[in-house]
Amino acid sequence: MDKETVKKVAKTAHLALSDDELERYCKDLGEILDYFKVLDESPEGEGYGVDPVEIADILRDDVPGIFIDPYELLKDMKTYENYVRGPRLL
Amino acid sequence: MKDVLASLPALNERYSMFSCIASGADTEEPKFLFSAKDNLTSKDMETKCGSRILEGYRPAFDAAAVEKMRQYGGRLIGKNNMDGFGFGTFSTNSAFGVPKNPFDLERSCGGSSGGSACAAAVIEDHVSLGVSTGGSICCPASFCGVYGIAPTYGRVSRYGLIDYGNSLDKIGLLSSDPAALAEFLPVISGKDPRDPTSCAQPPLDLKGKRIGSVAVPEEALKGISKDVLSAFESSLDILRSMGVEVKRVSMPSLKYAMPAYYILATSEASTNLARYVGMRYGRQDGDLSLGFDDYFTSFRSEYFGDEAKRRILLGTYTRMAGFRDRYYAKALKVRLHVISSYKKVFEDHDAVLTPTMPFAAPKFEDISKMTPVESYSADFLTVPANLAGIPHLSVPCGYDEDGMPIGMQLAAAHWAEGPLLTFAEEWGSAFDVRRPEVPL
Repeated sequence: MDKETVKKVAKTAHLALSDDELERYCKDLGEILDYFKVLDESPEGEGYGVDPVEIADILRDDVPGIFIDPYELLKDMKTYENYVRGPRLL
Repeated sequence: MKDVLASLPALNERYSMFSCIASGADTEEPKFLFSAKDNLTSKDMETKCGSRILEGYRPAFDAAAVEKMRQYGGRLIGKNNMDGFGFGTFSTNSAFGVPKNPFDLERSCGGSSGGSACAAAVIEDHVSLGVSTGGSICCPASFCGVYGIAPTYGRVSRYGLIDYGNSLDKIGLLSSDPAALAEFLPVISGKDPRDPTSCAQPPLDLKGKRIGSVAVPEEALKGISKDVLSAFESSLDILRSMGVEVKRVSMPSLKYAMPAYYILATSEASTNLARYVGMRYGRQDGDLSLGFDDYFTSFRSEYFGDEAKRRILLGTYTRMAGFRDRYYAKALKVRLHVISSYKKVFEDHDAVLTPTMPFAAPKFEDISKMTPVESYSADFLTVPANLAGIPHLSVPCGYDEDGMPIGMQLAAAHWAEGPLLTFAEEWGSAFDVRRPEVPL
């Protein structure tokens, strides 16, 4: 895999790579993708195996409820007036 | 049990099997002690998942499996050390020390549930919760000479499990006592509306039939070490003497399971790990005056380990426009093919039998020389059953000339944990399991 592609993927994934990492992951990902080539000759099932077993579509009744105390969840977060604090948006 | 609790710090000093140990004493004597892999949330203990990015995370709730073990009278004594986010075969990708093999401290105890297997081998009458995505219960069970079961996908609620690959993750058990697997699997199993994938399961039937015939795929006996092959062949003789029919079969689909698995696992992991950005959980000590792109990027680059970055990059690539059909969509179709090839074998046999790992626990110095592809390839026997979501069991079946344990793996049809558990107990009476010497 070429460096430009790895850089583009890293940017998408919010990772900044050092020159050394870029070099290493280029080589590793190239080898891994080569190894995946055996899939090109694989027979396929009909459809997509998104889940390995049949999954029931079970929905909860649309009733508001509190399952975990929100103050308990906020306890370990950086907050400001009960809002979660994050970095600058603008 | 008080002796066990008192010895934990010294045991952990020697083996690094816990990333967190329970403190304080209960007023009530618990019915039993257990430990849990550190990707299962626990409200009284830090949960770090083997990664620095989650340092300091104190969940507000117990994972369903932990909660059920406590309700059954158990005391959680520690969180088991593991490869960061479950990414690894040797537990060498933990940010909090590497757990050691109890039979030889220079060797790996396997991964990614390495600490769980180590605790099961070292502590008397112990059961630990492990999690398998591509083989992370059977691999360390094999390297540490204990029993391990990964049940059918959806058998145990994943509520409170820190996701790696949602369509692959399964919570299971490890113990040196096969009867413990049969005792505790019903405890942690069952439908849980908090994890809808658990709600389609049929009841767990432990009184079901025994394993009467096993199929050994010839593809599984290529590329394995001489010692493993010889221990495996001897085990076939024991099986025959137990009245189990052993047949050689061919399963050409097995070779496609590895690449399909790594594509699905990393694709799912790369989306799951998008949530770790230095807000809400774990470390949050970055500079909030940075713009959000820069803040997220600096945090993730600093605190994700090497293997986590590699898998995030791989999984992001295989989902990108232009590559998605070739990799991700293709892997989903191949999964169906692998499942149907197992179903075909299960028409005539009760289980597919293979060695668990192609070699006994390797030395750390040899692991450090492996390329990622070499390391991934070590999972070629455990990955197919995991991709197919079928239950699989590893039992100790021999020892190499250095005294290192060797394991064999039985995979059964979806929801057929019963016969596997019955087999584990039968095997326990037929085979002499060695315990490691614990000088404490």
